[in-house]
Amino acid sequence: MGSSHHLLVFLMFLHYAVGFTYNCVKILPDSSSSIVVEVGKNFTATCHLLEGCAYTSDDIEWRLGNDSIAKQSYHRINETSVSVTINISSDMNAWLKCTAPKESLSYKPKIIYGIFLRAGYPPLKPKNLSCIAVQEDKDISPNLSCSWDPGSRNPLIDTTYTVYANVPGTVLTHKADCKQHLARFCVVNLETFPIHMVLKVWVEVKNALGSERSELQSDSSYFAKPNPPLNVQVLTEDKFPTSLVVTWKHPIDRTILKLSYAIRYRKVTSNVWIEVPESFTRGYIESFRLQSLEPYTQYVVQMRCIGESNSSYWSNWSPSVTERTTEAKPASAPDLWRIIRPTSNSRNVTLIWKAPVKANGKIRFYNLSINQNNEKFESHNITADNLSQMYSMELPAGKMASIEITAYNSAGESPKATLSIPRSDKELPGVKDMSWSVRDEKLQVKWTAVLPLPHPLKLSEYLLEWVKIPQSVHQKELPAGWQRVPKNVTVTTLNAGLEKFKRYNISVYPIYKYQPGHVWHFQPGRPVTRPAYVQQGPPKEGPTVTVTKSKKNSAELTWEETPLDSHQGFIIHYTIFYAIGNTKQWKSETVGPNVHSYVLTDLASETDYVVYVMASTEAGSVKGTDCTFKTMKYGDGEVEVIVVVVCLSFLFLTVFIIMICLRKREVIKKLLWPQVPDPSDSSIAHWSPDFPIKADLPKEDVSVVEVDVFDGKSLCEEDKGVLPLKKDKYLSEEHSSGIGGSSCMSSPRHSVSDSDEGDSGQTTSSTVQYSTVLGSGYKGQTPSHQPPAFARSESTQPLLDCEEHPDHLNESQSRSSYFRRGRELEPGVLAPECDGGSLTFCPVQEEEPSPVAEEPPASALCYMPQKSGYRPQ
Amino acid sequence: MNCHVMNMVCLSQRSQAKFRIILPILILIAVELVHPTMSCKNEKCSQLLHRSLKLTRLMSKRSADLLETYKASQGDSADLICDMQMDNVPVSTISGQTMSERILSVYTHLKEFLPHMKTVMEQQKDLNPPINPVVEGLHSMITHVHHIAQRVNCILQILQPNIPIPEPAERSTGIPPAQNIFQQKAYGCIVLSRLQELLSQAVQEQKSLKGKMCKQRTKNGSL
Repeated sequence: MGSSHHLLVFLMFLHYAVGFTYNCVKILPDSSSSIVVEVGKNFTATCHLLEGCAYTSDDIEWRLGNDSIAKQSYHRINETSVSVTINISSDMNAWLKCTAPKESLSYKPKIIYGIFLRAGYPPLKPKNLSCIAVQEDKDISPNLSCSWDPGSRNPLIDTTYTVYANVPGTVLTHKADCKQHLARFCVVNLETFPIHMVLKVWVEVKNALGSERSELQSDSSYFAKPNPPLNVQVLTEDKFPTSLVVTWKHPIDRTILKLSYAIRYRKVTSNVWIEVPESFTRGYIESFRLQSLEPYTQYVVQMRCIGESNSSYWSNWSPSVTERTTEAKPASAPDLWRIIRPTSNSRNVTLIWKAPVKANGKIRFYNLSINQNNEKFESHNITADNLSQMYSMELPAGKMASIEITAYNSAGESPKATLSIPRSDKELPGVKDMSWSVRDEKLQVKWTAVLPLPHPLKLSEYLLEWVKIPQSVHQKELPAGWQRVPKNVTVTTLNAGLEKFKRYNISVYPIYKYQPGHVWHFQPGRPVTRPAYVQQGPPKEGPTVTVTKSKKNSAELTWEETPLDSHQGFIIHYTIFYAIGNTKQWKSETVGPNVHSYVLTDLASETDYVVYVMASTEAGSVKGTDCTFKTMKYGDGEVEVIVVVVCLSFLFLTVFIIMICLRKREVIKKLLWPQVPDPSDSSIAHWSPDFPIKADLPKEDVSVVEVDVFDGKSLCEEDKGVLPLKKDKYLSEEHSSGIGGSSCMSSPRHSVSDSDEGDSGQTTSSTVQYSTVLGSGYKGQTPSHQPPAFARSESTQPLLDCEEHPDHLNESQSRSSYFRRGRELEPGVLAPECDGGSLTFCPVQEEEPSPVAEEPPASALCYMPQKSGYRPQ
Repeated sequence: MNCHVMNMVCLSQRSQAKFRIILPILILIAVELVHPTMSCKNEKCSQLLHRSLKLTRLMSKRSADLLETYKASQGDSADLICDMQMDNVPVSTISGQTMSERILSVYTHLKEFLPHMKTVMEQQKDLNPPINPVVEGLHSMITHVHHIAQRVNCILQILQPNIPIPEPAERSTGIPPAQNIFQQKAYGCIVLSRLQELLSQAVQEQKSLKGKMCKQRTKNGSL
């Protein structure tokens, strides 16, 4: 009991806290579902307070969604009713609420009532209703496909489209509900297509705001769409090269739908269809002959059908059938042209031709007839082959030729084409002021008309020739293309498929005609030729530059012109870029298109440079390969100048030294050749060359100096030990000693020397002859087997320069000879040194004092045997 | 009292006014329902005859095809069953002396054949799979015979515009009582055979109208 009381109190509190909604209010109009309202229209709702409600109309508040509606839209009807009018917008899908808000702590319960508004549009009337029933097998399908334009406005609310169909007068009506939103297509099943009946079809569109309907009523055949004609065939007929027979089968029985047919055809090479007038195919026919066609031409034929008197839809076009008409004789002559290349004493003429424009068949062969100087020269049947439609011949410069060519196909021969080639000196005048320009990626050529020529020559036409440069070596291509234009035309566009970036030589020839007999002859005039590009591009490759001369401050560059095929346009200039090493500080020089060498100046000496040449066309540029070079250290002649200066300096120095030497010759002389005492003038020695020279003496170069030792004087103590050793070396068994021994006058030079090894090293010029005393007794010793003899020595040992007083020399002049030139002692040769002792010898012959001792004849030398001067051993 | 009288008078007058409005509408609706021939006015006479003839000719051809299909679907005894005699099947003979009478006869016969065709279709649905060429052909044929009857009705309206066209009594010829399978097959074959004969004669009858019916009407100034 207590718990239930508490629960009741709690519920009351909850009720008070949350608010109590008492349904004493109602909105009119009311609906259990949403109320559909039309966009753009005003909608008025009235809020009624029911009897017993604690509120009055003044307490009523209208809310749309969560927003309050302005009070100005309220219309107070009475104490219990308030209406509101709102304008419906397309996005207004919300609750419209009538409420009286509960005041805080008020005892009045809260009241609220709402209706849901859904905005929308009434349906639009479907437009362009059309229904179609296609043919199925041999009947018309009962499925009627209808389509219409529902309009672009979205109704925003559920809208249904329903298609109805019935045969007027019958009760049965077929219908189809179209499920799609904004349906524009629907299929209604009629179960049986009402053939030859009136059919009424309508589409009804409905929604909550209204309905609309579009209707069609017509004979049922107007809804039918037959299949295309069956089994369409195109047949050719021999001997009728200008016609084709088209046959077909009716796609549907005439009792269901009687059809009429349409035929169209076109050339395979054309996209333009030619339709046979419907009046020609109006009947219920199954064949038709196409006429006035071109022979040997492929035609594409299509057919379609429609109910008689356009009483149905057109069928689709039948699949294309292609057939070729049969051949007829060529209706036009071949297009003959020639290319003349002068040779040394003749002309090489290449005849080229195109098949007749109206060949009317496959050309089998050409008959080419050539006359030279009005005499038949040669005639050939040339098989028609696209690859070899040309003929070359030699035509002497002094001869004229007339060429005729005829084309043949299986049906006959073509008219003749003629062309005359005059003698080299008989060329007819050409056009003037020819120029070209590019329009729509084609070449437009313009020229000035030729002046009229005297009778019988008449201007027939102009011929424009184009030749790709450089010419292709491809044998299959014609060497040139050409195009003929009427004589009254001076501007034309070349209809050739000229390649981009390729150079062409465009020539304009006036073609003259004359009629020497019954046949017109055609002779071209002198051509005017210009190179041209249909589109220029940047060169494919840049020139390769080489440095031909590199100097101290300049360098000469040379580059070859790149192949013409790689130009891709007219070279407008070359630009030379050069920079030092890797500095990338490029400098440039621009030269004309015909310049292929250039001298760069103001370069730094002994510096590495990088250079390249860029070739430019109007469409762009491309650089060539880099080339590096180094400038020279010296300029031209600098080295020569330095060499000359150095040489001259050396020369002057030499002369200067020589001058000094000459001027100081005595001093030098004394320095180089000190004064040698003259033994002949020695007073302490005598030279007695009394002994004859023995002829059978051995020729060993032994120098023996007999030194006549002054009495009372002896050799130094060292000599005592040395002498025997030296004696062993001498060939003379008795004794051998160097001459010119020490003057014993405190001279530093050795006066006597002997050396075996010194022989070969002595030069003739410096050889001082020494005497050898052979087999002579010495100091009273008697030689055992041979008398003493003198032999000449080539020793270079300088003679002792006697420092003794000249008086002594003079005194002993008769007994001894002396040498004016002294020599240093050979190394390794022990020279006896005399301390105060003196050796005396006697010269055989006194020589003139000379800086260089001449080699005296052996016989002229005579040395006196040494009789004294040595101490007894 | 006056007031009561006045009220009664007023009510009486209002009711009469409403009746005057509603009555023609009701009559119109009744006429529309009884006379399904209003659409006839939308077509010219020659056009009507032309289309009617084309449709009848087509159905004549198709009925022949359907008969062949029917025979082919009934087994080996097809020729035998078609030679049987049955009294309940309407005859195909066109009677009458005048054009109108003969066309009326055509119309009456067409109407008579319709329930028989429906019976045959139902029987064939039971004898064969529900969807088979015979059933489909019969279904289509029924629709087209309806359409022919409508065309012929229009012709009759042109031929005798002032005489109501008598509608044949419902099941006037009577649907045969319960039949065995053989009888059903024979019945179907006889119905289709006689229908084919009727359509052929209908073609002839309509052909005979060419150059007469519409010419006469044109002279009368009706069309």
